[in-house]
Amino acid sequence: MSQREHKENYLGARGWVWAGRYQMERHLYVLHRVTGLGLLLFGIIHLIITTFFRMGDKDTWESAISVTHNPVLKVGAYLVVVAFVFHALNGLRLILQEFGFGLGRPTPPIYPYTDALRRKRRLAIILIAIIGILAVVFLYDFAAGGG
Amino acid sequence: MRTRFHLIHLVTGVLIAVFLSIHMVRSHLDDILGTDDPTSWESMMSRATDGMWVALYIALLAVALYHALYGLRGIILELTPSARAARVTTWCLIAIGIAAFGWGTYVPIHLLSG
Repeated sequence: MSQREHKENYLGARGWVWAGRYQMERHLYVLHRVTGLGLLLFGIIHLIITTFFRMGDKDTWESAISVTHNPVLKVGAYLVVVAFVFHALNGLRLILQEFGFGLGRPTPPIYPYTDALRRKRRLAIILIAIIGILAVVFLYDFAAGGG
Repeated sequence: MRTRFHLIHLVTGVLIAVFLSIHMVRSHLDDILGTDDPTSWESMMSRATDGMWVALYIALLAVALYHALYGLRGIILELTPSARAARVTTWCLIAIGIAAFGWGTYVPIHLLSG
């Protein structure tokens, strides 16, 4: 029974795609992992297309590119851009955190306590705002007919 | 040694952010910047014959492969495989990385010279 209580907040492999009752940073962690795997998958496809079809002539290249003008793949390409922007800026947050930037001065433990996660949350929210702005900029270009 | 591999993971992450930003802006913000369609054959060939772009792509390929495969290795090793399975995973990923880098470097250099 005590074993069950101990595992109350245990997510296991489910934690790869679900943040449970953890705080915002856990959701960012899940998204970081999902976008990382997505970018890896895209990178493999991208490498194949930009090498095999480039070895041929102009017609081979253009017939391969015309496939990617499919609206579903356009949405996919936009998601790749957003995934990259998220993964890059959240990665920057993780690096800053790992090297201890933005921790602030230590304070005496007087109620209400400020923990390290809450102190760094402002940075996390600013980064999410920047991600949102960049997502809109790229969405504007995609909506304008870009590729 | 492990911390050194992790540090390289962080450094390659920052390098990707720089290289891939250049690549993303050139490939996707063509309407905002007023540049030509980056997916057209002419546009692609103009970059394929420009040494700076080829160097950027090869550098991006190298750092991205390291970063992606080391990240994937971290995810797989989180499943706590046996030491033997972990070793096999690592060497498989190294082989995939070297093969992808070899092919991804051969094609642009071959096109640059021909």
